[in-house]
Amino acid sequence: MFRPRLTRRGLGVLTAALLATSALTAPAMAQTPPGVLVVGQIAEPQALDPHAVTAVNDFRILMNVYDGLVRYAPGTLEVEPALATAWEISDDGLVYDFTLREGVTFHDGTAFDAEAVVWNFERMLDEDHPMHEATGPFPLSFFFSAVQVVEALDTHTVRFTLNEPFAPFLSNLAYPTGLIVSPAAVAEHGADFGRNPSGTGPFQFAEWRSNERVVVTRNENYWDGTAASEAVIFRPITDANTRVAEMLSGGIDVMVEVPPVALGQFDDPGFSIVEQAGPHVWFLILNMREGPFTDQRVRQAANYAINKEALVNDVLEGTATVAAGPTPPAFAWAHNEELDPYPYDPDRARELLAEAGVESPAITFYVTEGGSGMLDPVPMGTAMQADLAAVGFDVTIETYEWNTFLGRVNPGLEGRADMAQMAWMTNDPDTLPFLTLRTEAFPEDGGFNSGYYSNAVVDDLLERARISTDQDERAELYREMQEIVQEDAPWVFVANWVQNAVHSDRVENFTLEPSFFLLLRDVAKN
Amino acid sequence: MGAFLKLLFRNRLAGFGAVVLGAIIVLALITPWLPLHPPNATVTANRFLLPGTPGHLLGTDHLGRDQLSRLLWGTRLSLAVGFAAAVIAGVVGAAIGIIAGYFGGRTDNVTMRGVDMLMAFPYILLALAIVAALGPGLMNALIAVAVVNIPFFARNIRGITVGIANKEFIDAARLSGMGHTRILLTEVLPNVIPVIVIAMSTTIGWMILETAGLSFLGLGSQPPQADLGSMLGEARSAMITAPHTSIVPGVMILLIVMSINLLGDGVRDALDPRLRSGALTRPLPATQVARKSVPEVPAKPGLLEIDALETQFHVGKRVYRAVGGVSLELKPGECLGLIGESGSGKSVTALSVMGLVASPPGVITGGAVRLEGRDLVGAKYERLRSLRGDKVAYIFQDPLSTLHPLYRVGDQLAEAILSHHGIGRAAAMERAVKLLEDVRIPNAKARARSFPHELSGGMRQRVAIAMALANEPDIIIADEPTTALDVTVQAQILALLDRLRRERDVAILFITHDFGVVGQLCDRVAVMYAGRIVEQGPTREVLEAPAHPYTKRLIACVPELGEGRRVLAAIPGLPPAVDALPEGCAFAPRCEKATDACRAGEIALESHGGRKLRCIHPEPAPVEESA
Amino acid sequence: MGAYILKRLLSAIPVLFGITVIVFLIMAMIPGDPATAILGSYATPENVERLNRHLGLDRPLWQQYFIWIGNLLQGDFGRSFALNRPVLDEILDRFGATLILAGTAFVLCALLGILAGVVSAARQYGLADKAITFVVILGISIPSFFLGMMMILLFAVQLRWLPASGMYSIWGGGDLPDLLRHLVMPAFALSVVATGVIARLSRSAMLEVLRQDFIRTARAKGVHERRVIWGHALRMAMVSIIPVLGIQAGFVLSGAVYIEMVFQWPGVGRMLVDAILKRDILLVQGGVVFVAACYVGFNIIVDVAQAWLDPRIKT
Repeated sequence: MFRPRLTRRGLGVLTAALLATSALTAPAMAQTPPGVLVVGQIAEPQALDPHAVTAVNDFRILMNVYDGLVRYAPGTLEVEPALATAWEISDDGLVYDFTLREGVTFHDGTAFDAEAVVWNFERMLDEDHPMHEATGPFPLSFFFSAVQVVEALDTHTVRFTLNEPFAPFLSNLAYPTGLIVSPAAVAEHGADFGRNPSGTGPFQFAEWRSNERVVVTRNENYWDGTAASEAVIFRPITDANTRVAEMLSGGIDVMVEVPPVALGQFDDPGFSIVEQAGPHVWFLILNMREGPFTDQRVRQAANYAINKEALVNDVLEGTATVAAGPTPPAFAWAHNEELDPYPYDPDRARELLAEAGVESPAITFYVTEGGSGMLDPVPMGTAMQADLAAVGFDVTIETYEWNTFLGRVNPGLEGRADMAQMAWMTNDPDTLPFLTLRTEAFPEDGGFNSGYYSNAVVDDLLERARISTDQDERAELYREMQEIVQEDAPWVFVANWVQNAVHSDRVENFTLEPSFFLLLRDVAKN
Repeated sequence: MGAFLKLLFRNRLAGFGAVVLGAIIVLALITPWLPLHPPNATVTANRFLLPGTPGHLLGTDHLGRDQLSRLLWGTRLSLAVGFAAAVIAGVVGAAIGIIAGYFGGRTDNVTMRGVDMLMAFPYILLALAIVAALGPGLMNALIAVAVVNIPFFARNIRGITVGIANKEFIDAARLSGMGHTRILLTEVLPNVIPVIVIAMSTTIGWMILETAGLSFLGLGSQPPQADLGSMLGEARSAMITAPHTSIVPGVMILLIVMSINLLGDGVRDALDPRLRSGALTRPLPATQVARKSVPEVPAKPGLLEIDALETQFHVGKRVYRAVGGVSLELKPGECLGLIGESGSGKSVTALSVMGLVASPPGVITGGAVRLEGRDLVGAKYERLRSLRGDKVAYIFQDPLSTLHPLYRVGDQLAEAILSHHGIGRAAAMERAVKLLEDVRIPNAKARARSFPHELSGGMRQRVAIAMALANEPDIIIADEPTTALDVTVQAQILALLDRLRRERDVAILFITHDFGVVGQLCDRVAVMYAGRIVEQGPTREVLEAPAHPYTKRLIACVPELGEGRRVLAAIPGLPPAVDALPEGCAFAPRCEKATDACRAGEIALESHGGRKLRCIHPEPAPVEESA
Repeated sequence: MGAYILKRLLSAIPVLFGITVIVFLIMAMIPGDPATAILGSYATPENVERLNRHLGLDRPLWQQYFIWIGNLLQGDFGRSFALNRPVLDEILDRFGATLILAGTAFVLCALLGILAGVVSAARQYGLADKAITFVVILGISIPSFFLGMMMILLFAVQLRWLPASGMYSIWGGGDLPDLLRHLVMPAFALSVVATGVIARLSRSAMLEVLRQDFIRTARAKGVHERRVIWGHALRMAMVSIIPVLGIQAGFVLSGAVYIEMVFQWPGVGRMLVDAILKRDILLVQGGVVFVAACYVGFNIIVDVAQAWLDPRIKT
């Protein structure tokens, strides 16, 4: 505790003024009260409408306010019942019938039923829905692009009919884009629903003070047992240092995404560090349409040249592991265990460059200043630049703010850059390769294959894995895909993030989920 | 140049700045040849080494890069960018300013409106928007910082150009048929360039700060290139765990900007002629005193005795002997005229009485001023203050500059009273109005609420007189109170003074250069030349029979009906500079009767009855002839 | 005086109008679009184009400008793309915070700066003058963000005297002492440079004034030296200090951007930086016009204060 020391005098006006104000500071380190959990978030949420947002930062709040039909079982990426108590899938994989939980109401008091579910998906998917234009856009609606029609069979049964078999469908329903919002609340608030959310989750929305806090309070009628804390306050602190300082001084109880350099600060019995690997891949997109990376040997040389061990252990202080291929180990069933990462071998890299006949290829490298899942992009990019320079690459870095960065990378690297940083967090092994490695996913076709990787075998494997409903078969296809992609090296595979968080010793039952969500129902604070 | 450097280094802080900046610039210049680690070589295993680690004098940063090397390379870059930005902003801004200021009218109006707009735009946001439009990079940050600062230069230079454009030599150039471009280049530009250069040199520090700011926000230099701002920005994420990575570049920015500022101040001061002359120093509440000896107090004290007073101005090594041993005496109710040309030391003598000579540079180096027998020279400030305006009051020459322009005249009068008598504001105001009535100001009550600029010259001087009378002083020292006024007003003021003197029995020491005025008012007169009394006696006698050639010439200058000002032009030559007084009679160089004896050695002030004279060839006295 | 104020107000209109044009053009020049910011990682060119059409960004520039300015004149600042709320709400939320920070810093720099300048001038070449001159040079040479960082390090992390960031404590705060605790460091860090500038200017203005004849008159009247300095001289020096206060107010407002970043103050500066980076066009435009209007308004106040202070100015 702080005790004002007012004994010194005469150190000049400055000191005097500071000392005088220090009298005010006595209660500055006041403890947060028990039962109220204060969470340091990395940014102000964009909106609290689960269908309208894409950032993990927003998901951390949303998952505690809303429920989906299904959810990931604790500690896994396997789905289990939530608002739906059971479901049946037709043999052809096209029709899903969900039985809904009875007696559940939204926070605004209206009933949760089949009509509400239908309304939710129609708002997102039907461009003629009255609320589609008014409360959109819904950037992740393509998660459900396979859905042809949603209908209420009775008050507590909902049927989804798909265009084609779509393996990730259940997993996508467990994603925030599948969370169910109160139709009545949307109707009431219209465009402002994003700031006045209403769902069925363990906490209900209480207050959003811009740039200060979002407060949610315990939902006393929660269908799955009431939450352990009375309230949760989400506090946006965009600056990592400040977040650390607040955590150290007791201003927040939980802090997510601890910057690697600050981990040492929490080496103290008063704090606990929690870690959890998740489905995340951090990679460099290589431009395969033009420039030096059209040559596979040059792409492999880049993979050999970059010291990934040093990156994850030194720059990221062990908050990530080295990635071997495009599928993260967190998708245990789909991950190819036999695949070893490209080793750090600068000599091999030089050899490959020599073979390719380019001793000193000039590379433009897009680096972002931050962004969802990007970890520490600038130091990482700088270290990579040094590694690449060591084997002969002549790398020019251009840094951009995240949104500008996306605006430059997503339309494709052609004519702009040879290499760009990127990271994805996904919920199903299908999502990332399907959106970024297929020939049909070139940017001009509406995909995110910004490096123009094209391999007919990979295209075929991914297509088949997507429509198969047999997990073992899918696993086989994905493993084969990983081998080919690693050899083709359309990316430099860098890291898989091990998500971390710090909480004080007053917080109990705190865990992180592989889904990167933050589930606070059982977290207690003394 | 040598003198300039000397002047510069006399200011120790500026010298310090010059040395530090010089050292930094030299280091930056020789950086490529220093045995340093490559600035961009990363060894992530060696990250955050502390300063003092062998091989890494200043430690390493978050990627294990050598801080010393990055610091020096970064300094190199930051200095170059700051310099370039200052030059670009200076040149473009000056061009806009000169054009707007020179052509005036609509060009000026439109340009300056644009400048106003840019200045109303938050400058960091403007810089940010420019960088956002151009893309990140140090060059673009440089452009942004330069652009943002153009309005400031434009505004400054415009102001100066307007001043120059209205000068006669520009009109002359125009009349001689010179084109605008030529006038701008050959007449205007040379006069503005020093200002531009000074403004530029003092803004370099500011530019470095701003570029560092943009780099700090990640919009400046691109990794791995180091400049000081980006080093600081990158280090910020490790601020708590590895503060040295922030402190190293931060302190360097501080050092650079501070040394530039110190040096800039020094240069500006050294170039400012007013500073060189000591004119930028603030006068102390009372004139400094440095007397070697104090004259003995006579047995029978008079009202006011100025005894062998010496007042000098010390500017640098030069000593100006403004008053060189003046003795005067003022009896109660008497009016003594003190007359002489400008620079003769008469005003300095008068101001020395109450310690009002601006000091520095003024110093009273000898003699005494006794009020009722007690020495005022070297008196404690509080005693001096309590006598000022109470026992001895002053009236100064130009009431427009000697009255406070922002206070109502009534308030200024009341203040004079309240400084000595705690009678309360209301009573003081009442008395102030009464005083204004006493000096014959019509509608005094309303006038008390006027500001000095709202009154005519004569009215203002009446106010000044009222102020002098406020505490019913024993002595009024009037320092050329009528010189700034036109003739009719002058006569009225003299009449007023004369009346007041007789009514209130107040002694007046009246400083003037006009014998006509002396004749109307004074009982006795003392003539001063080059800091000394050369003749003294009853006014009538001196007027009728001036004994000193100088006095004679002064009297000859008086026109028949007090036509004030053209007076002294009639004496050929100029009075001598008081820092280089000739030996012997100071008037000798201008005197027709001067002989070798006049230029050899001290000539004493000798008494002849009621008169005193300092001359070995006195004028023949008409009085004696007739006797 | 009333007519003078009116005249100044009228003359501000074209300036503000010009600012709307400048900010609009700059935002139009900046590459990138808000759609990317809204759609996040999943922005495909196709989606972006559709969204831009929806937002009316495919219209010709002049049309967009007139739609915007038309709405603006009716008090409708539009809706922020990125924040999903009306621009004006966000600006007002944020501006209050900036006003508290910049206002405090401004008062601080005006008081401290003038105080330091006057003392420095009154004791020219004395110990106090030298000390003040040195501190002032230090102050105008230190980057405010560096100073802020060092203050956090010292007072928040090491000594734990003051909170490191934010405007209010997250719990138990919200009252005035809480605000003051949070305000001390950022306000001080923000005021330092301006304090230095004002102190320097005040010193030279005072030196200039102290040499003038009316100061001698005051002394000759027997006015006490304290009153000569703080009354007669300062009153006159204010005539040249006040316009600089106006300029410094602009600098404080601008400099708040860095301080708001370092101290995570929820102010309008940080909002605008974010908005520029996110291409949140309407928020940038609205915010800049708002801030510029405040700046212009403040300058009018300065001019009026100047006219009131100096009766010689013809109003």
